[in-house]
This record gives sequence, structure tokens and C-alpha cells, in this order.
Amino acid sequence: MELAIEAEGLVKSFGRAQALDGLDLTVRAGEVHGFLGPNGSGKSTTIKILLGLLRADGGRAMLLDGDPWREAAGLHRRLAYVPGDVNLWPGLTGGEVIDLLGRLRGGLDRARRADLLERFELDPRKKAKTYSKGNRQKVALVAAFASDAELLILDEPTSGLDPLMEALFQQCVAEEKARGRTMLLSSHILSEVEALCDRVTIIRRGRTVEAGPLSQLRGLARSQVTAELASPPEGLARMPDLHAVRIEGNRIALEVDRTRLDAALAELIRVGVRDLTCTPPSLEDLFLRHYESEKAER
Amino acid sequence: MNGTWTLTKLALQRERFIVPLWLLLLVALTAGQVKRYATGIPDIAAFAREMAANQALTAFAGEIPSATLAGMAVWKNADAIYTILGLIMILTVVRHSRGEEESGRAELVGAGVVGRLAPLTAALAVTCGSAVLAGLLTAAAMTATGADVAGSLAFGAAITAAGLVFAGMGALAAQLTQSARTAIGVAALGLGLGYVLRFVADGGGLAALKWLSPQGWSHLVRPYGDDNVAVLLISLAFTAATLAPAYRLLVRRDLGHGLIPERPGPTASDRLRSPMSLAWRLQRGLLGGWIAGYAIAGLVLGALATSIEEVAQQGAAVEEFFHRYTASPEATMTDAYLWLIALSLGYVSALYPLLALLRLRNEEISGRAELLLSTPVSRARWVAGHLLFALAGSVLILTAAGLTMGLVAGAPGKVLAGALVQVPATWVLAGAGVLAFGLLPRAAAAISWAAFLFVNLFGEVLGPILGIDYWIARYAVPYPNLPMVVSGEPFTATAILIMTGVTAVLVAAGLAAVRRRALS
Repeated sequence: MELAIEAEGLVKSFGRAQALDGLDLTVRAGEVHGFLGPNGSGKSTTIKILLGLLRADGGRAMLLDGDPWREAAGLHRRLAYVPGDVNLWPGLTGGEVIDLLGRLRGGLDRARRADLLERFELDPRKKAKTYSKGNRQKVALVAAFASDAELLILDEPTSGLDPLMEALFQQCVAEEKARGRTMLLSSHILSEVEALCDRVTIIRRGRTVEAGPLSQLRGLARSQVTAELASPPEGLARMPDLHAVRIEGNRIALEVDRTRLDAALAELIRVGVRDLTCTPPSLEDLFLRHYESEKAER
Repeated sequence: MNGTWTLTKLALQRERFIVPLWLLLLVALTAGQVKRYATGIPDIAAFAREMAANQALTAFAGEIPSATLAGMAVWKNADAIYTILGLIMILTVVRHSRGEEESGRAELVGAGVVGRLAPLTAALAVTCGSAVLAGLLTAAAMTATGADVAGSLAFGAAITAAGLVFAGMGALAAQLTQSARTAIGVAALGLGLGYVLRFVADGGGLAALKWLSPQGWSHLVRPYGDDNVAVLLISLAFTAATLAPAYRLLVRRDLGHGLIPERPGPTASDRLRSPMSLAWRLQRGLLGGWIAGYAIAGLVLGALATSIEEVAQQGAAVEEFFHRYTASPEATMTDAYLWLIALSLGYVSALYPLLALLRLRNEEISGRAELLLSTPVSRARWVAGHLLFALAGSVLILTAAGLTMGLVAGAPGKVLAGALVQVPATWVLAGAGVLAFGLLPRAAAAISWAAFLFVNLFGEVLGPILGIDYWIARYAVPYPNLPMVVSGEPFTATAILIMTGVTAVLVAAGLAAVRRRALS
């Protein structure tokens, strides 16, 4: 198995609302895949189709070489899922829920369970109805990480966690990755995706707008360059490859396509460089670029 | 008290369909009964004498307040109205107080410019307001049928008073417990106790007990007879006595907490290992409550059977009673009574499987089903766990009532058989519940309640109001088709086999629909 998830042209509508409109998603075995998109763009709908809870109106979806709708129960033996909005049985304790989910998934690593409970500082004796949102999320995370599923599907798993717990979550994902597990991580937190993911898929209004390794996607965006020069730059503003040029005395700030960085730096050096910073494009820039174009279309 | 009016409007908006619906039903009940008696019974005084001689009917309906058309209509329906209204009051007040806290919505509201007392006050305003409306509308409807105005107002006041008492009880229970479901259970216990005390008072000739029962206070008004409205001062005093501690607790306690704190539970679990064991955890409370309730009902109702005297004179009403509930001329009054009780227990038991199956919908809406079904549990196995409780649970609760009632009444075998023969009819309702959940999940709760009310009201209540013959019910409702094994009919399997077959078809169709549909 080379691909853990392969979805092509997924279409799904609820009444008149079009939730998915030809969405593509490919997740390779062993990778951590970031799944990004604004609210209501279709991330959770896609995940529910992959879990066999919803049936796609059109397109093709494969999960672990099986059909997620027809072979749902069988395929679920090999995956663990953490919902975005975790709701637990109010009368069961956190420990009981972890054990139940673990048993249903076909086993739980006891040592790992104990270790995770301690690291996440979760009291397993409390009834689920007394847990906060973050603690309910921890219950689902401990159950997923302590299982031996080969694929983890995590739908905005850190939305209720504090920064310390989020750092711990990132550490756990790194450990799971080292153990060879595949993860699909839907998220809003770009720094988290940047830190963890090998490849990302960005969707908007039910369609895939970008997909690929982070380094490749970065190539599509521009680097930010600011410099202090030996003398006021002249003529630079008219250079075709430079964008958003701002000049203030000897200082200059500009954006440049990554492929044209060489030429831009050569120009700056010709004038004489006293100080220079060059920031690679962040995922945020990528994300905002698509997000803003969506706003403009509205 | 800041924000009370805004919250009251919000609660009214949320109740805008439910309150008018039950108001209409409750008001139509007695007024419709007057019409039915006016056309169907030529000599109302003779009918009243005949009914008064029947100990069992006195236990169920209470003493006859007056031997007039309106008085007999009150006698037939008042007890049911007081208790049903009480249940509605409890559910409404808890939904708008503790229910809001449990969901976390009260937190959102409490962070606004809203006084600490406002949410409970708004809940009580809506609940008590609708109780007053129920009384006024009933009085108006009764007057419209030509009944005496003073008597109609007294009846309306008795209805409102019963509503207020249980609204107060619900409000107090909502302060004690952390979960809305437990609060409803605690208050419903008070409601049940009131019912039993009044029942025993009239059935066992212990008239003093009536003064201890909230339903009893309303009975003591005796509309169209004594019109003794002064008794209702007890109801008002009792309401005040529940509301005062409710408000005192409300001011002192923390939002979201009750008097009874949550205890820590087990760290791990060996028993929860399958969807079936999870279903057991989720269903055992409901099932246990029903078994206990049915066992107690069997005890009380069975005890009454021993005090029934055989009626010598054969009036028209007694003849009709025998025609409906016996199948052989040798059957005695006690046999007819025991079959009527077995049948009534059957009718009411239809609610259990429907409630048990609605838990599935609850699991789905809350997103817990999503979590469960992301594991290797198939939808069929998930539904099967709860369905097992719906079906086997129906058998258990009817067995419980059949055993206690049979032992007390001194006819264990016959009565148990009479209770168990109800099972397939109750299963048909379970089948309808599965099908509704599969095909029309969003309407499943409405369909389940509608099916339960239809089955219970069609033959006995709606039929007479709409002028439909009692025996037409045979074609629409399963229960009248069951062999009357208690009152002279030999056991035949035909009806039972047909009903079991219908259940199997409904369940299979429902399961197929669940497997095919999208889960929300």
C-alpha cells in the first residue's frame, strides 16, 4: 500500500448547499498530511465520507485500499479518529471511555495509556460530563495514540488545548510518525501544520486549491526581503521581478518570487548591503492568499 | 431579576408548538367527554349509580363529584388530566432551568445582564402561565357545553392547582441534582407517589390518604358537586413551600452544580468491551426504572382485584364493559378487571421500547455515534445493542408487573400469561420506532410519540370524540386483537404470530434504512 487515502473528485451536497465540489485528497502511507481550509470549506464532510458516515454523491474515495462506505467496519480496525467536537457519554469516566474505544479498536497499549494519561495530566476517574472541552479532547487523543491503528484521522484535535498541551500534542505526533503511522491532520493552526506536516492540501469551498510538499508550495509564494543599503536605491522599484517595493531613505522592503531571488540580491549587492533579512514565505501567506482571493470573489 | 422578561419570551418561543398542542389535547378531553355522554347515555343518574358501585373504577377515577353530565365527564378524565399535566409541568420547568444549565447555555446567558433568579423565574412564568391557561380554557370549554359556570371554574382551578404543585416540585428537584434527567426522575417520583396515595385512598377506602396527595387535593374540590375551591389553598401553600427552598438554593449554589456532588468513578474498565455492554450502561437506568415502576403498579392493581365485588344488576355500562373485556359468559367481574389492567399495562408499556430506541437518535445527534462508529463497530451492531434492550426489556417489564399482580391477586399463572401476551403488540411499536429512526431520523422522536399517543387514544378517547366505533380500533391498533387469556378466551397464536412477523419486517426495513442513510 503506497497511498493511505486517495480521494478524487468528491462531490457532496446537502439539499441546495454544495459541501464538496470535486475535492481531491491524496495521503501517502507513513506521512503526516495537513488538511487546511477556512470554516465551512468541507474538511469535516470529507472526513465523514472517509469514515463511511456519509456517502459521496460523486467521485471516488479509497481508504487503506478499501471502499470507506461498503467496508466501513472492517477498515475501522486499522484507524483511530479524533473528532473536532468531542462529545462523550456523560455517565462514563474518562478512563472507561478510553478503554471502551481501545477495546473496540482491537486493543490498547496499557503502558502507553498510562504514560499518555500522565503526560496529558488527565484524571481518568472523572465523569465525562464534568470534563471541559480540552479534557474531552484529551480523552479522545489518549485513546487514539494508545491504540495500534496504522492511520490516525485527527479533526482539529488541538482546538481546545492550552499551549503547553499543544506542544505535547506535537511531540506525540512526532513519536507516532517515527513509529511509522500515517496521520491526516485537519487544522486551523498553521504553525502546527508547518511544524508537523510533510505535505499539505489546502481546500476552499469544497475544492482542492493547493496540494503538495510544504517546500514545493512555498515555491509558489514570495520571500520577504528587507535591507539597509549603502546609498538610496535608485531604479530598483522599476525592476520587473520585484513586488510591493517600499523605499524609505536607505532602507528598502520588497517581495520577490523565490525563483528570482538571485537576481534581486545581485541588484541589492550592486548598491551595497549594510544589513539584510530574508524571510521564506510562511504557510500563513499561502493560506491568506487563497483566503483573500475568496473574499474578493464574494 | 434583570432579564426575566427577555428569557420568558425566549422560552415562549421555544415552546410555541408544544404548549398549544397539549393545551388543546387536555381541554378537548373533558369537553369531548360531555358530548359523548350526552349522545350515548340516556340516563346519566343511573349510569353514575352503576359506576359508583364499581370499586375498581372508583380506584382509577376517584369518587364521582356529581351525578350530572359535566360531573361524570370530570370523573372520567380529571385524574388523568391532573397527572399528565403534572408530568408536563415537571418536564417543562426542568427543561428550561436545569436542562439549560447542563447544556452550558445558561453560562452564556448568565454572562449577560441577567439576574441570578431570572432563568428559574422565566421557566416558572412559562410553566405556571400555561397551567393557568389550561384551567381557564377548560373552564371556558366546559361552560360552552352548557355546564354550570361555578362548577366549570372550580374544575379549572383544580387543574391549575395541580399544575402549580408539580411545577414547584420540578423547580425544587432541578436545584438538587446536577443532571436534568435525574431531576425529572426525582420530581416524577413525587408525582407517582401522589398518584398511588390518591389511588389507594379511593380504592382501599382510606379517605384520609387523599389529603396527602397533590392529585387528591384537586380531587377534593368535587366540581359541579361541592365546588370546594378552598381545598386548593393547600396546593398553593405546598407550591410556595417548594419554591422558597428552590430559590434559596438557587441563590447559594454555583452555576452548573447541585446539592448532590459527583463522585469520582473507576479509572479503567474491564466490562465495557462491546457495543452491547455500552448499550447496557446507557439503558440500564431506564430499564430498571420501568421494571420497578411496573412491579409496584402490579402490586397496587393486583391488591385492588381482591376487593372487587361481583355486580348483580346488569346495567348497560356494565354490559358494555363485559363485552369489551371478556370473551366468555362465565368470565367474572374480577376476570374482566384483570384483563383490563393487563391490557392497560400493555398499552403503556409501548412507551418503553420507543424511549429506549430514541437513545439511538440521541447518540447520533450528540456526535457520540460518530465516535463509536469510527471504530470497527458496524451500524447494524450498534443498533442491535439498543434494540435488544427495547425488545427484551419489554418482556421484562411486563413480566415484572404480571408476577407481582398475579401473586397479589391470587391467580399467578393466568395473570402472568395475560401480561406476557401483550409483548408482541408492544414489539410492533418497537418495530415502528426502528423504522422511523432509519427512514426519517429527524422526525423519529415526533413519530414515536405520535405512534404511542395514537395507539393509546384511538380506541378509548379519540374514537368516542370523533364518533368512531370502539371495535374499529382492532384494525388500527394491535392490542384489541390479543386473545383475552385472562377473561375466558383460549390462547390462540394467530394474532401473536402476525404481530411478531410485522415487527420482524419493520425492524428489518429499519435496519436496512439505517445502513443506507447518512449519519448526522
